[in-house]
Amino acid sequence: MRLKRPRRRTQPFPWLDILDWLAIFALGSLLLHYWISGQLSVLLHPDFRWLSNSAAILLLLVSAVRGWQLFQQVRRRRPVPSLGHQSLLPRQISSGLLLAIAIFGFFYTPRAFASETALQRGVTETLGMTRGQPQQFVRSGPPEDRTIIDWVRTLHVYPEPDAYTDQAVSVSGFVIHPPDWPDNYLMLSRFVITCCAADAYPVGLPVEIDGSRSDYPSDTWLQVEGRMATDTVGEQRQLVIQPSELTEIPEPDDPYAF
Amino acid sequence: MVQLNTGLTLFFSLLVEAMPFLLLGVLFSSVLLLFVDERRLIAAMPRNPALGAIAGSLVGFMFPVCECGNVPVARRLLSQGAPASVAVGFLLAAPTVNPIVIWATWTAFRDQPEIVVLRVVFSMAIAVTIACVFSLQSDLSPLLNRGVAKLLATTAVPIPATPTPAPSPLLQSGTFLLQAPGTRVQLDTPAALSLPDSPVSKPLRLRVRLMLDNIVQEMRELGAVLILGAAIAATVQVVVPREIILSLGQGPITSILAMMALAWVVSICSTVDSFFALSFASVFTSGSLLAFLVFGPMVDLKNISLLLTLFRSRTILFIFLLVGQLTFLLTLIVNLYIS
Repeated sequence: MRLKRPRRRTQPFPWLDILDWLAIFALGSLLLHYWISGQLSVLLHPDFRWLSNSAAILLLLVSAVRGWQLFQQVRRRRPVPSLGHQSLLPRQISSGLLLAIAIFGFFYTPRAFASETALQRGVTETLGMTRGQPQQFVRSGPPEDRTIIDWVRTLHVYPEPDAYTDQAVSVSGFVIHPPDWPDNYLMLSRFVITCCAADAYPVGLPVEIDGSRSDYPSDTWLQVEGRMATDTVGEQRQLVIQPSELTEIPEPDDPYAF
Repeated sequence: MVQLNTGLTLFFSLLVEAMPFLLLGVLFSSVLLLFVDERRLIAAMPRNPALGAIAGSLVGFMFPVCECGNVPVARRLLSQGAPASVAVGFLLAAPTVNPIVIWATWTAFRDQPEIVVLRVVFSMAIAVTIACVFSLQSDLSPLLNRGVAKLLATTAVPIPATPTPAPSPLLQSGTFLLQAPGTRVQLDTPAALSLPDSPVSKPLRLRVRLMLDNIVQEMRELGAVLILGAAIAATVQVVVPREIILSLGQGPITSILAMMALAWVVSICSTVDSFFALSFASVFTSGSLLAFLVFGPMVDLKNISLLLTLFRSRTILFIFLLVGQLTFLLTLIVNLYIS
């Protein structure tokens, strides 16, 4: 490649404007990358994915127009107009930070939350805590069609475990080993999100197994078929799944429940 | 390692959820900044202090700006002769009482609609109260930044019909910074005097270019603060032991104080702060989440530097204390009697 001699300019070369432009372009590209690669499903509730996708398009549009403006500026040595702006952080730091985070985002694959986070956040069988009302009433249908979250919502409305004895159950989720439970119990769990991963909270149901739970390590995804029973686990009388079949499954594309 | 992953996923999740709202806020404020003429708006404002305060707090619906964008607009409002109640009402309420922020809050707190409603009601109530307090002061100048006060004093003087020719730049006294050849900035000019006119007066082509420039600048500035805010939220979630957060977050008084302190430090933009609060929703009381959402947009660490361009420091302290007390009182009522 031949190096050109630098042209004499009346305007200084707009390095900072180019850094700004790069930062916005990189942010738009990162959102587009999440959209196309499907990684958005780990980060956002499906209802809001269109927002992030529209933001990707808008950011790329802004960066395209801004890029054209900058190109004109460099070529014709025309200054980019500016309103003058009060800023908190130095300009290079702001755009450098945005650019760095966007580039890092390309290389980092977000991962769905797993058992350790669930234990840290405290798994609940009820949707009580500070949550308001359950978002929807329980679907009427055969019990084996209920997901974990449907079961937990059902229990929230009518908590007596005996009411569900012997009902068929077919649910999938990941395995948690609650430390204070006996070795033949594990918890099958799912994270519920209402908006984004920031408000994800875990819910789960106990599963009684033959043998040791170490056969099913933490974070393994399982499909469990069986019947409901009442048992005392962790000093609490509660609904327990007695499985007839436990199948290991791959992590689903949409790991969260809604 | 798992914790790091959780933290990073949380961080990017907050970023991805908040970015569209930030962009929308920036787009709207840039468009309106350049296409709405504040002078006409001021002419339509009621002179009665209470009505003016209410009108001022509702102006946010026309300027959906977050707390970083509202200070320059409030300054322009004051310098163009808006009554104090209108300007102060706008300054305090506009970051919250506007369509984009309400939508974002609704997105985050769909299953707790009372938070969305009370956020707006409390912000309005506090803004109107403080604006009424300000309107009792007939001469605002002791409260204002000296530059703005001087500007207010000079606007009363009629502008001469024929502009006096500018003296040679060499004969002017003051401190100057030379920029590109032919342009210079007087460093000791009071901030408000060097403020450009409302850009509405400029030709359309230039306005569109200025709008784009504003979008890029605000995205850069607010985006960087958003990144810092998201990083803090993610770190607190991952690093601070759950027992501490729980014990702090469940007390009716401690939770409010903790969230107000957090709001002050984090300085996150009001269009996206509801997502930040959301990450604390499962462990903190509703009142404390409201305290975060009401207090943060009115006063925070980042705001001080901006507010100093408008008020004197003791006025800012006065506003801080008043807003803080009112927020604490109202949200404590929520914690004790409502939720």
